[in-house]
Amino acid sequence: MADYDENLSHLRGPSAADIDLDDETQDFRFLSNLPTHDVKDLTLPKRGDKDFESHATSLQLSTLEASRQAMHNALSWPRIHTQKTHLLATYHPESNMAYVKKAKTQHFQTLGHFKAGKNWLLPEEALFMIERGSMDCRWPVQVEEGRTDIIVYDGQEENERGVPMSLQGAYAAFIGFEGGVGGKLTLEMYTVYAGLKRAGFIVFRAGDWDDERLPIQYNEQDARDGDKVKSGNWAFGFVAEIWRRLSRKETEVPADRLKCGPLLGSGLYRSYADIYRLLQVIPTRDRNAPPELILPPDCSNPFRITFDVYKTAGAGKFKKSTRGPPDYRIAVVNARETPVPTMAQLNDLLATTPYDPPNPNGNLYQKLRHGSRNVILAVVDNGIPSYIRVGDTPFTDEKLYKRLGRGPPRGKKSGRGRGRGRGG
Amino acid sequence: MAQTLVTEPFPISRIANRYLIFDVNIISHIRREHNICGVLIGTIPNLSQQNVFLGIPMQLMPEETRLLVEHGHAYIVEDADAHKTGFMEMSREDRLAFLRQMDKQGVEMALDAKRRAADKQEKVLKEKGLERKIQEKNLRRTDITPNPATGETSVGPSDEKSLSDSMPPSPTVGSARGQKVAPYFITPTTSHPPLPTPPLSPAAELPKVPHTYPLFRHLQSKGYFSTPGLRFGCHYTAYPGDPLRFHSHFLATGLDWDEEFELLDIVGGGRLGTGVKKAYLIGGEDPEAKASGKEDGSDPVRAFSIEWAGL
Repeated sequence: MADYDENLSHLRGPSAADIDLDDETQDFRFLSNLPTHDVKDLTLPKRGDKDFESHATSLQLSTLEASRQAMHNALSWPRIHTQKTHLLATYHPESNMAYVKKAKTQHFQTLGHFKAGKNWLLPEEALFMIERGSMDCRWPVQVEEGRTDIIVYDGQEENERGVPMSLQGAYAAFIGFEGGVGGKLTLEMYTVYAGLKRAGFIVFRAGDWDDERLPIQYNEQDARDGDKVKSGNWAFGFVAEIWRRLSRKETEVPADRLKCGPLLGSGLYRSYADIYRLLQVIPTRDRNAPPELILPPDCSNPFRITFDVYKTAGAGKFKKSTRGPPDYRIAVVNARETPVPTMAQLNDLLATTPYDPPNPNGNLYQKLRHGSRNVILAVVDNGIPSYIRVGDTPFTDEKLYKRLGRGPPRGKKSGRGRGRGRGG
Repeated sequence: MAQTLVTEPFPISRIANRYLIFDVNIISHIRREHNICGVLIGTIPNLSQQNVFLGIPMQLMPEETRLLVEHGHAYIVEDADAHKTGFMEMSREDRLAFLRQMDKQGVEMALDAKRRAADKQEKVLKEKGLERKIQEKNLRRTDITPNPATGETSVGPSDEKSLSDSMPPSPTVGSARGQKVAPYFITPTTSHPPLPTPPLSPAAELPKVPHTYPLFRHLQSKGYFSTPGLRFGCHYTAYPGDPLRFHSHFLATGLDWDEEFELLDIVGGGRLGTGVKKAYLIGGEDPEAKASGKEDGSDPVRAFSIEWAGL
């Protein structure tokens, strides 16, 4: 809003809706009210009251001390597995993955893949399961010559169990050993993965990360037109088509007039639309044409879609084998190593996202924000991710002159303008 | 819970060129003593469905790591190498010994949990005035709960047995003692033990830091806490005290001494900072003052803060 600071906005606190709890360090004392192992009916705490200045009072010092102690306690919570919830996994150093023989939790609906009698977990999946305290991962056992590693547990023959992998060991293995198997998963990618999983999204790798680039997604014009006729009224479509042909007049300005004008020749114009159309002299890209400015396929391109993200709505029906197109596509970028993308890099990235036009009946601004293709950049600055949505916005598809005379006049009934007032 | 003393220098894990701390005592220690708060990036078990409170590990910026190493508070350990040799080539004896130790801890935790559950139940019954049920319970409990002494002695023989058979301890060692507790399995947070504390290797090179390091060092020496500032369009958000207690004061951007920058950056930074109740701060290191300051000990960094006056 233009007049934001005229309101002396800095004298007021931000409104409750603007507060992002993740933005600032929260007071861990909220956690100390919770019993250590029983957090079933946990609600998130409200934003705490923090101070602006240090005034060296005992009160302030003791509050800080209490916060630090609460944080220390929360960070000391152990990861324990009861016999009932025990999920045993084994680390597989050759692939830097882990496998589970008996998958007895719901988690496997949204992670892992089944191969040769075992559930295999990708490094990020295994690390997250260990970190959230849901899986007991063991280092593999070195079998000496002349010995067998089969042993009897509870009357069942099993492979001998290795030493439990600590959280530190899990990071060292799944992030640190990654270099030995191609080095695809970085700590930044894992930070984004874990953050999205904690937020409740279902996250999978986009492609298998081995290919040089994801396939270019072409926009299939024919399929789109077919849909249009099917969804709309056939007769209406027909009349509209006739009307469009009748009303189309000269749409191209002859080359000599483009050079020295005037753009509008003398003649009879039946509508302003014809005139505006002639005034549009800056060429725009046809979004139905194949994407241009594509970089050669290259593994080291820092801008590529890393994760396919699904919303959890209807997660009960979610099937990881047939999961359909994702709700969001996320490219993870390291803020400290990667500069702002070039036009070609962005174009290249967007070309690997599908053509996804906005709802044609939507509000103009929604349509512009949605864009015809879009991707989310997760920019990680030392453990703190910021999510930026990049859309390819077809401004020229939204002709403002065509909106005139449609709907009620602005500001009266439509309710637009309600939000304006004296700035957020 | 009492603070455990941390002996300096302490190790910082380097994993894939990132700096991480897994020991909760070190995390608390550097917060208190060195005003370094890092970024907690891990999931807290049992609180794994939220992003407000995060836990171990703590990721340190290369700047923070370098400062700690330069001042001799810490040293860097290549964690991947340490784990590769430590766990992938662990001897059978060490493994069995560690497994036994974990099992013992697991039994203690399981017993502890059981005791707490019983206490809770007793409390609830007492509140409801059902004293008779408590007595019945107590009668049964004395049968189940072993006194610590007999618990100890029964651990001994079972250990001996598994040693002589050179078999790993069975996970149901508890039930064999007739206690009706199955040991919990524990995922430890750090790898020490069983790994020995890594040796100090002073030859390791210092972390590579960006050109904003002098400003970071300057703010840190004045007692400020810094966190990565990309969210606010700057290099560091500087807090006057522990971010647990204080709001941040500055959006700090580091510049080189003679670096040219757009005047519009000041407008952008200043407006953004004022909008979030902070001041925009730019600073850099004077190379001449740095050369001459080595003798008199003065700080060669100068910083300026910019705020919208709101007149």
